Amino acid sequence: MSCQPRSVLLDKGVIRRVYERRVRFALGVPPTPAHVEAANAYAQLCIPARRLYITAQTAHILDRRPPLFAAPFLTETYTLQKGRYLRRWARRLRDFTFTPEDAIVVAYGSFGIDAHRASIGVEAIVTNDLKLATHFHAHQAEIVHRFQDMIAQLPTPYAALTLPEIVTTANILSQAS
Amino acid sequence: METLIVDAEGKVTIPPEVLHKRGLRPGDAVALIEAAEGFLVYQGGVDPQTLAWWQALSEEDQRHAAAEAHRYEALSDAERDALWNEGAETLEADAEDDECELPAS
Repeated sequence: MSCQPRSVLLDKGVIRRVYERRVRFALGVPPTPAHVEAANAYAQLCIPARRLYITAQTAHILDRRPPLFAAPFLTETYTLQKGRYLRRWARRLRDFTFTPEDAIVVAYGSFGIDAHRASIGVEAIVTNDLKLATHFHAHQAEIVHRFQDMIAQLPTPYAALTLPEIVTTANILSQAS
Repeated sequence: METLIVDAEGKVTIPPEVLHKRGLRPGDAVALIEAAEGFLVYQGGVDPQTLAWWQALSEEDQRHAAAEAHRYEALSDAERDALWNEGAETLEADAEDDECELPAS
């Protein structure tokens, strides 16, 4: 991440690993490196000036987990709602061979709505999925082109949307050190 | 930043002053994380968010959390994956009814 984003969408995998890090802490069991990576990145990201988001699916999962573990995540993050055209963009991302789940997450980055702030999209998506980040960066030029083509056909405010950066948890830690 | 040299057996030696500064002792675990920039060595221990969460719990809640944690750890990998895949989103156009317009600011 070249700058400090003010709005960050946390991929479900990041939340899962931080959750599992806390499960292991409660048991006194050592965490895996993946747990440590996600938990340390999450701690780096949790600053008041930054708004952290999760998707509606992640919120749905956390709502069904024991509140002792899940409630802090729901307090520390905001849930993005699916904005109009989100699925249309996700389907176009599938042309770049993203998995359906990855396509949805990337699409939330541009078309996810923060209903409290009446804002749309985030500056960065943080993921623990190196394959997702690598795949996005490998096709970024084509994705940008396809995105510009799509939003050019859309009404205001959708015509002014942007693509998020895709950042790994390891990137977050490497910039903090 | 410290430069460490990998020896013939694949081992690296952390300089004594770093061990002392970080309070590392023989047998302590560190995590090696692969990043785009290279490898990061992370000291074992707990991040401030996890520690703050735990310390905010009462003793009774900590016992409940440990019991919940036991239940979670007893799940198989497939059961945990299923749990974290609940409510998966569909890309189909006929599911677009739940998409909302940006509210006026």
